[in-house]
Amino acid sequence: MNPNDSDASRFRSATADRRGERDLDDLLIHVARGDQVAFEALYDRMAGPVYGVIRRVLRDPSQSEEVAQEVLLEVWRTAARFDPAMGGAATWVTTIAHRRAIDRIRSTTAAADREHKTADVSPPHDEVAEAVEASLDRERVRRCLESLTEIQRESITLAYYGGHSYRQVAELLNVTLGAIKTRIRDGLIRMRDCLGVS
Amino acid sequence: MRFFRQDLHTLTGAYALDALEPGNELTRFNRHLSRCQSCASEVRGFREVATAMAFAATTDPPTEMRDQVMAAVARTRQLPPEVRTHVRPRRTRSAAPWIPWLSGAIATAGIVLAVLFGFAQAHTQNELNQARAQNQALAAAQARVEAALNQAREHDQALAEILGAPHVTLLSQRTSKGGVAVVVLDAAKRQLVVATSGLPALPAGKVYQLWLIGPVKIVSAGLLPTAQAGVTTPVVATGIVKGDKLGLTVEPAGGSKQPTTVPILALPLPV
Repeated sequence: MNPNDSDASRFRSATADRRGERDLDDLLIHVARGDQVAFEALYDRMAGPVYGVIRRVLRDPSQSEEVAQEVLLEVWRTAARFDPAMGGAATWVTTIAHRRAIDRIRSTTAAADREHKTADVSPPHDEVAEAVEASLDRERVRRCLESLTEIQRESITLAYYGGHSYRQVAELLNVTLGAIKTRIRDGLIRMRDCLGVS
Repeated sequence: MRFFRQDLHTLTGAYALDALEPGNELTRFNRHLSRCQSCASEVRGFREVATAMAFAATTDPPTEMRDQVMAAVARTRQLPPEVRTHVRPRRTRSAAPWIPWLSGAIATAGIVLAVLFGFAQAHTQNELNQARAQNQALAAAQARVEAALNQAREHDQALAEILGAPHVTLLSQRTSKGGVAVVVLDAAKRQLVVATSGLPALPAGKVYQLWLIGPVKIVSAGLLPTAQAGVTTPVVATGIVKGDKLGLTVEPAGGSKQPTTVPILALPLPV
């Protein structure tokens, strides 16, 4: 990277910035070869985001812990299936985590349980606000979410953090399906540019 | 419902946030994704945004979780590398794009996918449980299902609909003549997909016929296709009524109006 190019450094990939994405890829490659020490290091880096995103979606702490354990074990089991060409290790792991949380919502029993527990969900931007601490990630994501239009921001947070399908988001926000699809996509394009994802 | 390409393309965002419900739309989008390079790269970028959002949600897990995960890791065998990749452009017509989603949904629901499509036959129950724990079953079953589905394109729509339904039930049972029948039941829509593996080969002039055996009447659910490498391609059956069992009999070629032999399978269908 050219240190004189302030734009380039400012727009460095969000994931590259994140405590060394390359290191994480390397760790995962070692994990794939059965290296438990590498897995411990990976755990220390990824357990927080994994548990955090699942917790955000499911809300229930004990269910979240259960799903997080399943996800981390799946990472261990399937590490050899990780393909760096398809995206970074952090993305691979968090994608599994988010999907498993969604799967859990969509399984019947969990759905009823969750309805009950999310009866008084605070609005999505409050969720984001409550997540804001000193963390750079949080700060940057918060800033970028703020740069969106309200409907883009709400669509994205309801879908990702709320674990709602875009049809449900359309229903919640009382907007047409076509509009929601577009808002989510436009919002993500803005987020991508704001976060400097390459 | 039909979608224009334009509509499909705008789904990249919802897809990257896992906000597409399983079903036709997800099926179509997955298919589209496998041949649309720009969509795939857009999805990759959006997934990075999602990753940043996951990191922004970082929460310390309970401290005891670390020891539990490490203990589980120490006794869990890893999977070998996979030969295929997630996007398979060269197989756009024959691939079954819903499979990754299906497997995720089912695996997490904790359903025994291990018995799917004949993977069961060579294993004892214990081995199966172990295999499932290692997720190998999933990979094997996926490969089997995918292979089977290549033969069943004409049913694609119906299959995708059932397999993508939010609350499917997986049932399986050995037949009295050996082999196993596996059923994915969509109770809400009263329809199912059935495939078998390891049934004994029949002499010429005989076929396997499926039945919905109800308390009042018995209805044919079609003939089982000829097995390929021991596995029959999935068959869709609709119009299940309460109390129905899925039956299987040996019938003369062309099938019968009512069963003429004793069923070798009678699997209750909870609808």
